[in-house]
Amino acid sequence: MAGYAAQARPAGRLRGRALATEDQRAVPDVRRMVQLALAGIWLLDGILQYQAFMFSKGFAQMLSATAPGNPWFIAGPINWAARIISEHGTSTNAVFALIQVLLGLGIALRPTIRVALGASIGWALAVWWFGEGLGGVLNGTASPVNGAPGAVILYALLAVLLWPPRQEKPASFVAGRCTGPVLAKALWLVLWGALAYMALLPVTRAPKALSGMISGMAAGQPAWLASIDNHLASFLASRGPAAGIVLAAVLAVIAVGVFIPRPGAVRAILALAIVTAAALWVAEGLGGMLTGSGTDPNSGPLLALLALSYWPLASRTNRATESEAG
Amino acid sequence: MGGQTWLAYTLAAVMIATSAYCLSRLAMSWRLGRPTERPVDAAHVLMGLAMAGMLVPRLRIFWTGGWEIVFGLGALGFGWLALRELRSPKSECDRPRHHHFQHVLACGAMVYMLAAMPSAAATASGSGMSGMAGAAARFPTLALLLALALFGYVIWNADRLTSLAPVAVLAAARVPVPGLAAAGGAGTLAAAARLADPAGPGEAARPRLAPLSPRLAACCEIAMGMTMGYMLIRML
Repeated sequence: MAGYAAQARPAGRLRGRALATEDQRAVPDVRRMVQLALAGIWLLDGILQYQAFMFSKGFAQMLSATAPGNPWFIAGPINWAARIISEHGTSTNAVFALIQVLLGLGIALRPTIRVALGASIGWALAVWWFGEGLGGVLNGTASPVNGAPGAVILYALLAVLLWPPRQEKPASFVAGRCTGPVLAKALWLVLWGALAYMALLPVTRAPKALSGMISGMAAGQPAWLASIDNHLASFLASRGPAAGIVLAAVLAVIAVGVFIPRPGAVRAILALAIVTAAALWVAEGLGGMLTGSGTDPNSGPLLALLALSYWPLASRTNRATESEAG
Repeated sequence: MGGQTWLAYTLAAVMIATSAYCLSRLAMSWRLGRPTERPVDAAHVLMGLAMAGMLVPRLRIFWTGGWEIVFGLGALGFGWLALRELRSPKSECDRPRHHHFQHVLACGAMVYMLAAMPSAAATASGSGMSGMAGAAARFPTLALLLALALFGYVIWNADRLTSLAPVAVLAAARVPVPGLAAAGGAGTLAAAARLADPAGPGEAARPRLAPLSPRLAACCEIAMGMTMGYMLIRML
């Protein structure tokens, strides 16, 4: 099939189309690869939303469980949305799933990428509010280990950072080419700094808090993942406060690490961020995807994807981009 | 399946339509000599029918063990083609080097789903896939890994969709013909034209036979991958 790709050299009007498609067939750049990964996660989310559990009352109950403890302007809309979903479970869930599938395909299709990324920002903000209760940030239940600040807000952040601008700004990493490197690094600092702060809150640092959170993730998981989570939980059972402080320190180092002027040191920090994201993902029980009731892979893969979009690129690529931008 | 019976029927309809379209591609290729990737189209015909039968048991036309053998052989065949692609020099390969791996993966996923699906339970249930979910829970991690890989190929195909030349462009150009190349042929559209119309050498430079739409073939891959991924996710 790919053999039919625009290797043609026809004359006239068709030649323009052939050459245009040939340009598109160039090896994907780093930003495109991260965009495609984001598209894949949206697609996965959409298909996960078609699971039987999501069509049941259990999904509405899962949503309404995020309301308690939140201010009225957060809790009210959550309860309203949960009631509608409870009453019209099949139709609302089918629409939710379809929207996410379309977002994934829209980002993957080049002509629709801007529309899909823009729509994904709006959808992610709506789900963050109505579906995740702002990730528990306002009711004190947010922890890096349970997916704070809400996995879905990371989709919106990635969509902003990976936006294909008409004219790129010079930056040594793809996340900085739309917003500029200063704003992109500021967003990184805010995100990972907030995670470090949340790791010091009682919900994470209290004795047995981390242990209880992780062992709770083990329920319904396959044996190998439940075993890992249970072992981790029992290891942390007597080390909860210390583990919280270590986690906060690691997250704080990651937060400030992108400001180091040496690319080698930044790469090491970003590698640490990816490892930390992987560890958090395991602690999150892979987002519950293997339990039949997971709506998304949770924050781990998105944090890793974010780290990849800050990865310092080779100097040759930078020069090319800077000359194009200039 | 409960409340998602409509979804199973919808997807079964999509699979039957895809299967019918791929069958028509094969027929046009044989009757008119228009190039296409016959093994891939044939695999899609069979996969569409098998998946429709898994989604809606009353649409089952072949016994499960038979399908397992068919797709097992399919995986071996595509695996052999994929290995041949890997070994061939890049200049001789007119498609991405991992092109056939997605078909190996799809055939493997079919074998997995068929093996995991208890035929008796599914048949007795009368509504698609209700038996699959419970029985396959023994290997949920494999189902998830297969689904993730299939979604990766769906996204890859969607990304490439607009870069595939439209039939109008291909018709006006001398382009490699993968079907012929795979068969050891000349590998150009002009060669395809010669095969169909051996009137004279002067005619060879003016190609007449456009390959069947590669964009629609990619859409079939996307439809197959998404449906298969859905079925695997339902088995978690």
